[in-house]
Amino acid sequence: MSFLRCLVILCLIILSFNLVLTESVKATEFEDTASLNMYGMPGEIDLPSAKNLPDGQFSISSSAFGGTIKVNLSFQILENLTGAFRYARIPGGRYNGYTWDRSFDLHYLLYREKSSFPAIAIGLRDFIGTGIYTGEYFVASKSFGSKLNVSAGIGWGRLAGKNSFNNFFGSSTRKGLDVGKGGTFHFGHFFTGDNSPFFSVTYKVNEKLQFISELSSDSYDWETASSKGFTRRSDINLGVKYIVDPTFTVMATWMHGDTLGLTVNMGINPRNSPYYSGTEPAPMPILQRKYRSKEIKLEQKIIAESQRLLNLDGIELKTMTLFGSKVEVGIINRKYFNVSQMIGRAVRILSHTTPANIEEFKINIIDFKSNLFVSKIVIKREDFAESELKFNGPEELWATVSISNSENSFFYADETSNDRLSWSLYPYLDTSLFDPDDPIRLTVGAELLAQYKFIPSTFISSSLRQPIAGTLDDIQRDPKGGLPNVRSDFMYYHRDISNSLFINNLTLDQYFKPSPNFYALVNIGFLELMYAGVRTEIIWKNNKRPYGFGLDIARVQKRDTDGRFKLKNERFSTYLASIYYDLHNDWIIKVDGGKYLAGDFGSTISIKRTFNNGWEFGAYATFTDVPFNTWGEGSFDKGLTIKAPINWFTGKKSRSYASTTIKPITGDGGAKLHLSKEKYLYDKVSEYSKKNILDNWGRVFR
Amino acid sequence: MRLLPLTILFMTFLSACASDNLVKSEKKELWGIFKNITNKSISESTVIRQSSAFPHTKKWLKNFNQPIILTSSVDKKNQATLIALGNNEERLTWVSSDGISLSYDRGVLIATRGYSQDLLSLKYEKPKKIFSSNNLQYNKIHRYLNGENRYDELKFECTGNKMAPRSIEIVQYSLLVDRYVETCINNYHRYKNEYDLLHGTTVVVSSKQWISPVNSYFLTYNLYAFQKF
Repeated sequence: MSFLRCLVILCLIILSFNLVLTESVKATEFEDTASLNMYGMPGEIDLPSAKNLPDGQFSISSSAFGGTIKVNLSFQILENLTGAFRYARIPGGRYNGYTWDRSFDLHYLLYREKSSFPAIAIGLRDFIGTGIYTGEYFVASKSFGSKLNVSAGIGWGRLAGKNSFNNFFGSSTRKGLDVGKGGTFHFGHFFTGDNSPFFSVTYKVNEKLQFISELSSDSYDWETASSKGFTRRSDINLGVKYIVDPTFTVMATWMHGDTLGLTVNMGINPRNSPYYSGTEPAPMPILQRKYRSKEIKLEQKIIAESQRLLNLDGIELKTMTLFGSKVEVGIINRKYFNVSQMIGRAVRILSHTTPANIEEFKINIIDFKSNLFVSKIVIKREDFAESELKFNGPEELWATVSISNSENSFFYADETSNDRLSWSLYPYLDTSLFDPDDPIRLTVGAELLAQYKFIPSTFISSSLRQPIAGTLDDIQRDPKGGLPNVRSDFMYYHRDISNSLFINNLTLDQYFKPSPNFYALVNIGFLELMYAGVRTEIIWKNNKRPYGFGLDIARVQKRDTDGRFKLKNERFSTYLASIYYDLHNDWIIKVDGGKYLAGDFGSTISIKRTFNNGWEFGAYATFTDVPFNTWGEGSFDKGLTIKAPINWFTGKKSRSYASTTIKPITGDGGAKLHLSKEKYLYDKVSEYSKKNILDNWGRVFR
Repeated sequence: MRLLPLTILFMTFLSACASDNLVKSEKKELWGIFKNITNKSISESTVIRQSSAFPHTKKWLKNFNQPIILTSSVDKKNQATLIALGNNEERLTWVSSDGISLSYDRGVLIATRGYSQDLLSLKYEKPKKIFSSNNLQYNKIHRYLNGENRYDELKFECTGNKMAPRSIEIVQYSLLVDRYVETCINNYHRYKNEYDLLHGTTVVVSSKQWISPVNSYFLTYNLYAFQKF
């Protein structure tokens, strides 16, 4: 019978991922927080339902009842696939009578509702982690008229706690979960043990208000066994959802006849830009050839005028050469997150400032931080003018544009320039999450960033930090055992630094560009808070290709925990080879392989969904030759990444963004150096790749 | 003693600065996001311009020494004067001082920039053909950029009708115009553009045209026809 179970599961998995067989569910709205349950997944109160959220929706929700508090981050990964990460305080455990637990869920909508057939979904709760919430389900949902929706499902694991019967897949015994150190997949438990039915009914009073009733099969064994929990008196949950607007929903619940609960759901969809195509000022219009100035201007005057106008648009003109019917410029993009839009603006201004006989613009893009020439875009002046106001203008122009890596190496600034030193003084925020003693720790302080350019390719860069207030120096946990403490002893640094000024990093950075497609960077000095040494990154990236390769090598020595100049007598080396692939759709994959800081060998797989407007949601996992038990709590290194462009929120042109990595556990296995973002080369180069420019080409005339 | 770190933190926020003006302005924008959220103004249109008595006078028009057009919201509360900066074939692009631009092909609005949900481009019949016909049926496609910089296209089936001549007043000039009404429909939207054509010609003097679902209609007065230089 277990063969039958495996066969059914295999068929379901194939069905789930076969997009041809499944119905594509087009979300009509960008945000829908009313469809989230207390787990931050599609559902009603505590139970799942066969719904999906609008593609791309990112939700943050929190629920509390009977001593349990859940904070959920969920993301509609694909049109039919929803994923969630959860951090929960659960009654019963050794931290003041509670357990703090991380878990991940997946929910896949297999079939869309038809007039005579319900929607069907399959889901895995807590499929990776300690397994406290582990459970699997099939659920079907059907609406009757515009107001009534009924869901019925069958659950395994935690969802088979009450009213259970023998597993129709055959395996009636579900092995006790050996959670070990947590963080591992529970393949052996999926759809095993007894199963129970569950039901929910939703009545929509109006667009704002819903009444919900559930018959829950969750027995809440953990919670009811603890004095901090509640008493389960009934299978029934009752709830009222109030939809403030599609991005914000509040739900009040009466749980199992014993306790009140409250849930707050918030959602945002990167696809739903509040400013649509933006409110930045209009670009300079094109003048037809016959209206262009015939006045003969000195080259210096042309350059000065171009520099002035480009500067007004947030583009720095660094080099400009006129030869025959061509103009070649070197520019730095200081304002545009969207490279295509920046190219369009530069061409418009050059069309305005250059003599009428100029027919072609060669635009070399220089990276602001490194002075590296990255990409070269060649655009014919007349092609641009002809396409400017045509319906299919961007497409017609694209057919004539050429994009490649720039042959130039570095922009050599004027020796008399006094811009060699740049600095900033701003507050910083440092956080540490998921410590059961205090799940959110943070420190705020002042950070002085400074950079001095010796020559165009050689810099000294530094970050000095002065913590002012916070709790990072209160971490009570100790480092992990089993491996050299290359990362898990981070708390010693925060404790010893406390409120003292410290050097976050101080490095000599040397860039190289031996050929148009090869870029390299050497960093020497205090690389990060915990390490000093030498690090080299070499990448190969042809901007016409969607892939690239990299090699990152470092020989480092542990810094003393006071964040000053002293070093410990602990030396480590690491080398990682990387493959980057920008898939045809919105996904970017990166695979690293090699030796990590603790000497372990393995690989990191990173995948992120990118939105053309700059948003990114990603996940990564590192598996090395360190056994899960040796690695410790969490079993292996993993995390989630989020990047949000500021211009999405403001509608104005800006290259700045906010990013964060949510890392459940800090361990020593699979550990890498933590360098500042600008010390990684691939993103600098790939930003100006042909694919990135093409993906946003619609903005060339915006 | 707890006051000391808080004071230092507050001073840090106040004294935050950088050698690069761009870094300063971007940090300010970041702070602006939070201000926007607290003011609940994030979704409000930022297109607010000069407001003055309407319609304008001949005296007012004499203040301009280059060709202008006047655009206005339908309620005439927000107005802007625009000057021609672009000329590409028969298509003119007019720009306002606060960075809005409108492009017209012989009076038909074909693109906007700086309006949030901009009309990126328009597939349309030749203006001369439609304005010289009556009861003409044709298709139009409005192209927009969505939040992911992909095209959103709205396809419309349109009918154009010329109405009986009537008299209008613009900047104290009385004119006889032929009103051309264009009604466009698709499954989700319906709009009615109105063009006032100089009587017996295809020259657009003023119009009420639909930009996009978010921006809806606005009015245009081609005042350059009444200017003397």
